[in-house]
Amino acid sequence: MIAEKNRMKRLGNQVFFTGPTVLVFTAVIIIPFLYGIYLTFFSWDGISSSMPFVGGSNYVEVIQDSKFWASVWLTIKYVLATVILINGVAFLLAYLVTNGIKGENFFRAAYFTPNLIGGLVLGFIWQFMFNNLFTAIGDKTGLDLFSKTWLGDENLAFWALVIVTVWQYAGYMMVIFIAGLMSLPKDVMEAAKIDGANGWKRLSRMVLPLMVPSFIVTIFLSLQRGFMVYDVNYGLTGGGPFGSTVMASMFVYDKAFIRFDYGAGQAQAFVLFLLAALITITQVYLGKRMEVEA
Amino acid sequence: MKVSRFGSALLLLLALSVLLSACGGNNADKNATNEGSSGNVSTKAVKITFLNSKSEIQQQMAEAAAEFAKANPGIEVDVISASESQSPVERASSLYAAGTPATMAMLDAGDIAKFADKALDLSGEKWVAELAQPNELDGKTIAFPFAVEGYGLIYNQKILDQAVGGTFDPATINTTTALEDLFKKIEASGVAPITIGSMDWSLGNHYLALAYANQSVPVEDYLGTLKSGDAKLAENAVFNGLLDTFDVMKKYNKGIKDPLAVVLEQTAADVAKGEAAMTFNGNWLITEMQKTSPDGEFGFLPVPVSNNAGDAANESLAIGATKQVFIDKTKATPEQQDAAKKFLDWLVFDAAGQEIMVNKFNVIPAFKNNTTELSNPLAKSLKAYNNAGKSIPFAGNYVPGDHWKVLGASMQKYLVDKVDRPALASEVESYWTSVK
Repeated sequence: MIAEKNRMKRLGNQVFFTGPTVLVFTAVIIIPFLYGIYLTFFSWDGISSSMPFVGGSNYVEVIQDSKFWASVWLTIKYVLATVILINGVAFLLAYLVTNGIKGENFFRAAYFTPNLIGGLVLGFIWQFMFNNLFTAIGDKTGLDLFSKTWLGDENLAFWALVIVTVWQYAGYMMVIFIAGLMSLPKDVMEAAKIDGANGWKRLSRMVLPLMVPSFIVTIFLSLQRGFMVYDVNYGLTGGGPFGSTVMASMFVYDKAFIRFDYGAGQAQAFVLFLLAALITITQVYLGKRMEVEA
Repeated sequence: MKVSRFGSALLLLLALSVLLSACGGNNADKNATNEGSSGNVSTKAVKITFLNSKSEIQQQMAEAAAEFAKANPGIEVDVISASESQSPVERASSLYAAGTPATMAMLDAGDIAKFADKALDLSGEKWVAELAQPNELDGKTIAFPFAVEGYGLIYNQKILDQAVGGTFDPATINTTTALEDLFKKIEASGVAPITIGSMDWSLGNHYLALAYANQSVPVEDYLGTLKSGDAKLAENAVFNGLLDTFDVMKKYNKGIKDPLAVVLEQTAADVAKGEAAMTFNGNWLITEMQKTSPDGEFGFLPVPVSNNAGDAANESLAIGATKQVFIDKTKATPEQQDAAKKFLDWLVFDAAGQEIMVNKFNVIPAFKNNTTELSNPLAKSLKAYNNAGKSIPFAGNYVPGDHWKVLGASMQKYLVDKVDRPALASEVESYWTSVK
């Protein structure tokens, strides 16, 4: 009787605390996700009342679509470049602003600010900088690199995207690194210092291994954001010049909402999801094995 | 103790919910009394919505709606906007998905067919008889042609007068060579002959589409042969002629140093200021041009596609009803449908509506009865071509939704010499064969 009552109470508590979250999560994540998978088996333009069943032909189309794989490959290159640069720059910034330089807090806030601007706005701001400001600098100084807009060149437009992304996220990841650096065990660091380890040794042998948990988080975040990038892509290059910077998300969007091929678009989105999930899970798994105890 | 605390929380919750429901109840009561006091249901305002996808006339549209409502008490028109970055179809279909479609939705002409099963049949409307050209889909009129638009080479009259030394007559330019000679004269007079906007929609759905419009067979048939892979563009005379002209334009392009950096606003300002003599675009550019030069004299010149002076294509503009309005029949009540029809009638037959169409929206009406004098020079020029029968189809109305993006990118590549002509031809062909 008492056990029965306790169980009821526990259930009540669980429903009370997790119920709303579960409900919202189901409504905005689970159901659309499942509905999306359902859509991949149909041919639908998103408007028409008729929606013929086509089986797996959408997936066959995705696998054979060389343009889709080209955009996925471009995304992978972009992810590689951004993950390395974001984490490198962020760690460097974090290391600098925890070393007791003057105006630490000001610098922390300044580096973090770009992250507060939405990707879309950021894209447009940088578009203006690349198109007008940098070309003006090129005109004044005669620098060849800036003589033309970066956004008009396939390779430079890609790097423009990378730069803007790094600028946007480095500050955010820096905050995570700062938290990690602040919680490094002081005794260990002090012992290393007394034992005569120089700055570089302390960084490479003590700090970095102890920071692995932070790296797992930041690499995971930057990986996932890199794979799903759309806003900066849209705002900055719009997929141009001549479709050379269409990342996977934009490709999927165009397929579904510009070409009005929901089935194929959803199938591509699902393939992209599997790919991103696979890579991020592998990363977290491998990262966990590198963790060390102080 | 614990129980009582939980109990009190529950009590609080109950009290709150009672309060909330009480508020709701009050509202319902108020509504009921309101209806009761007005007594007559028919005097209740009918609310209709209009999805406007010509974002440049958003404000004018709202003014028109207000004016219509003043003339027709009992009808309220709400103008919904579709932002520039979102395609009208996207907006319309998301409204449908939300279960709140607009009573009237303005879409790009090529997209009306997608909504054919949701659109009210307007074949019986009075304005159908006034149409300059029939506007039917499978034998039925399901959409209201909102605006006739056209495009070609827009020129600055003053600059060209200076260049040719006298009054420039657009009819003299009827071959690619004549155009090049004109460019040379303009250059000699010290002005950049042309500025090519690098917008993908302009290059893809307007310039390239001229190749579809100028074929000897109707546009739809030609697109059919492209889809089946039977059309060979590399050997096509019109396609090659069109690109010959494009090559000439490229050679005299003001932005030749960095062609992709040239945006619409810049082309409009350059031509309006007289820093470039011409640009390739449509009559909608006038709004942008008049920001710089409100009283400038501008006109249209067709894009020549051959060196044969007798070629009709060389003296015709691409003209078509690019924006179409359909009335929803799935969610709109009969009263709303009637009100919507009334609004369209007002635009066609009421003097105030006609005036707004022409002078506020800056569009060329598709109706013969609207004789309001056009006020802007590009519209005048366009209407002159249209009245003289010198028009070819607006082929961009017949292409799939991503045509502008995919083939616009291909044209941009051609613009900066990233691809040569055979490669461009094969990109166009492979796009069309991939269309389902």
